Amino acid sequence: MAKLTIDDLHLSYGSNHILKGITATFAQGEIVALLGRSGSGKTTLLRSIAGLEEPSKGVITIGNAPVFDGAAGLNVPSEKRGLGLVFQSYALWPHKTVFENVAYGLRLRNAPKAEIQQRVGAVLDGVGLGHLGDRYPHQMSGGQQQRVALARALVYNPPVILLDEPLSNLDAKLREEARIWIRDLIKRMNLTAVFVTHDQIEAMAIADRVVLLDGGRIVQAGTPEQLYTEPVSLFASEFMGTNNLVKSRVQDKRGGYVQIELSGFPLWGKDRGGKAVSEDATGVIRLEQVEVVGNGTEGGSGGEGENRIRAELETSLYLGSHWEHVFRCGAQTLRAFGRPLAPGPHWLHLPPEQLWVF
Amino acid sequence: MNRATRIAVIVAMAIAVLAPIGLVVYQSFLDGPFFQPKTAFTLSAYEFVLDDEDFYDALWNSAIIAFGMTAIAVPVGAMLAFLMTRTDLPGQRWIEPVVLVPMFVSSVVLAFGFVVSLGPAGFVTLWVKGWLGFEPWNLYSKAMLIVIAGLTHVPHVFLYTSSALRSLGSDVEEAARMTGAGPLRVALTVSLPMVMPNILYAAVLVFFLGFELFGLPLVLGDPEGILVLATYLYKLTNKLGTPSYQLMAVVVVAIICIALPLVALQRYLLRAANRYVSVKGKAAAQKRVGIGFWRWPAALVIVGWLLFTVVVPISGLVLRAFVSSWGEGVNLMDSLTLAHFHELMQFPNLVRGIVNTLLIASVGGALSVGVYTLLNLAAHRWNSGWTRLMDYLVLLPRAMPGLVAGLAIFWVFLFTPFLSPMRQTMIAIWVAYTLVWLAYGMRLVSGALLQIGPELEEAGRIVGASPARVSRDLTVPLIKVGLISSWLLIFVTFMREYSTGVYLLSPGTEVIGSLLVSLWGSGAVDLVTALSTVNIAMIGCGLLLMSLFGKRSHG
Repeated sequence: MAKLTIDDLHLSYGSNHILKGITATFAQGEIVALLGRSGSGKTTLLRSIAGLEEPSKGVITIGNAPVFDGAAGLNVPSEKRGLGLVFQSYALWPHKTVFENVAYGLRLRNAPKAEIQQRVGAVLDGVGLGHLGDRYPHQMSGGQQQRVALARALVYNPPVILLDEPLSNLDAKLREEARIWIRDLIKRMNLTAVFVTHDQIEAMAIADRVVLLDGGRIVQAGTPEQLYTEPVSLFASEFMGTNNLVKSRVQDKRGGYVQIELSGFPLWGKDRGGKAVSEDATGVIRLEQVEVVGNGTEGGSGGEGENRIRAELETSLYLGSHWEHVFRCGAQTLRAFGRPLAPGPHWLHLPPEQLWVF
Repeated sequence: MNRATRIAVIVAMAIAVLAPIGLVVYQSFLDGPFFQPKTAFTLSAYEFVLDDEDFYDALWNSAIIAFGMTAIAVPVGAMLAFLMTRTDLPGQRWIEPVVLVPMFVSSVVLAFGFVVSLGPAGFVTLWVKGWLGFEPWNLYSKAMLIVIAGLTHVPHVFLYTSSALRSLGSDVEEAARMTGAGPLRVALTVSLPMVMPNILYAAVLVFFLGFELFGLPLVLGDPEGILVLATYLYKLTNKLGTPSYQLMAVVVVAIICIALPLVALQRYLLRAANRYVSVKGKAAAQKRVGIGFWRWPAALVIVGWLLFTVVVPISGLVLRAFVSSWGEGVNLMDSLTLAHFHELMQFPNLVRGIVNTLLIASVGGALSVGVYTLLNLAAHRWNSGWTRLMDYLVLLPRAMPGLVAGLAIFWVFLFTPFLSPMRQTMIAIWVAYTLVWLAYGMRLVSGALLQIGPELEEAGRIVGASPARVSRDLTVPLIKVGLISSWLLIFVTFMREYSTGVYLLSPGTEVIGSLLVSLWGSGAVDLVTALSTVNIAMIGCGLLLMSLFGKRSHG
């Protein structure tokens, strides 16, 4: 069942178009990440759902009730939408205690005293801060403040909870822990959640579904696996992982595969861009898909073959869990992961089904 | 606040600002007081004033004094700011709190102080005369007036320049040192040019205040008949025997016409200044420049300035309030007395004045801060034609010196049927004070509002609070500290205000400032000095409160 639907949403500041027709559905119990670079419109989309920005056109529906309808002139103010929002800066009120920060939403809903006491206590326990209700925000660490912000957004059972870059103010170690417990908490409470992030790892780790935005439009939406393994465009493939790029010209085309060329070596790859023969095209392959198959010196092991190139090892970086090698083949550099290698030429295999040509 | 409330508040402010000015302009084109039944439109009032030699005299004097005092105040103030914020000047801790005192003491009180100390029969004059055998200066000359006006306005320049210098990171100076510039060269080629827009802003401000000058020329210019625009207006009241409203209105229009462009220029410069300072370095660690031997003469000059503008007039005034007689051959110790204060208590209107001043400063000041807060909230986080209109409206009262605004408000209360019963109550005074200090008060409160991030208020909307509840539960509590310190500043400001109440002075609306002006006219020096001393003591308490509060809210 769709909990939140957005239909052809447009928004502009003066002549600057931020959102250029966004259409998306968010199902009950689903965690969706809005992913994109800064300026892609992801935060504006989130703020439009929250009622903090006024779109110029389109419809936003929560449950069955429209909260924004450009054509009908309907724009329900933020406080009447009943959503929860966790701000990037947490936006905890410094003059209220943790308890009062969380309780404010219930007080506005005229909940009886005993109920407030009980529900705030329960939600603070839920985020692991049950004993810190009397503190003021400035007496807490960044990680604790973030938990308070989440508790404040959850306490009145909003139909949808929105999170704006929820992890960006935490340091690296805390961020990894937070990914786990935030996903865990949202799933346990069976909430519908929309969160904004610019970090594709974070998006894939937390979300059930990722919506990739660029220039105010949706580029691709789907599960994290779909976005990582079947990007629809060069932009999507570039955004989701680290790649080798091969600029070339289409040589040949056969059965869903196209042939390009790298410094004289012919390479077959999946046809993703539908380019015709002799058009410019870009081949993309993830770093972890490049295989080092053998020594390239005369008489060395491995050797020539389909989709293989011979490249000189230029330098190797030690990254702890693995090595990253930088090869040079003519004017082209290629990077690959692997075990330590001897200097000199090597044969690299670029599997056709992993080389995408756009 | 919802849209309708915001617009209502802004419209109410527009009426409050435009009504007095509109009435004055209207009056200036009539041939008699506006409330008389038979009046006709005419330009005769303009013809009269523009034919009056005294008017040109006053205009010329105002211009000379404004130029002169700017030429004195700006270099001294800028130098003082540099020495106090950027160098290892000795004794900074003692100098710092005293520097701003001339700003907080009303200029009419300072003027009395100069008369009592440096006048022909003043304490210091007599003492020096005893040494030299002759009188070395003439207090009542135009040159002396310019010097005094210039030196008492140094704090204005100091305030704006020093705050800019403080926000300037020392890394920009260190960068200049690294490329090979000495300390003096750094000051002249890096530090001061970077705060030039602020100095320029302060210069225009001082020039503008020069045109508004009332207290100093009233007291110091009068004996030699030196008139400036404000004193010309004041004298005009009695010039023709009966109050000649249309003539006063013409002078007011003239003053506004001169002031308005200056106010607009200030606004433009302030924007330029803010843009400039935002391109600053890191202000975190400021290292002071060593100026070696020169710090001693520099400190001496500053102490000399403080002696002249603060210590001599105020100590003279206070001393004078406690002695029965003085002069050559009189031992001051023998003539110490509290008689002047006892006498003060015999006059019910003076006692009422003291009580009224306390009320207007405390209760009235709090109400004014309330009004300024309401107006700020009406424009808060709202970008529209209405808020821009408000920006411009705020400037108008700034172009009206207190004397002029008091007169305009007096007329509004005379003219509007439902307001006229309140004309002789403190309400009229409060309205005039609130209007005169509108721009100042608005800036104080908006400074506090700028400190809170928009997301704190958005978070309130999200969890379900209406705009009105957000203002009540979140915005106002968040700026509480800022509001209290605004109130303290307004408290001191209302305490020292003297010119606004002059035309509103009547039984029931006495305040210390306007009483001092009228008492000085009657020559009751004993009472004037005693009342001034009371005023200084009250302001001192206000300043003490302010510094205590400042310490607490920072600690």
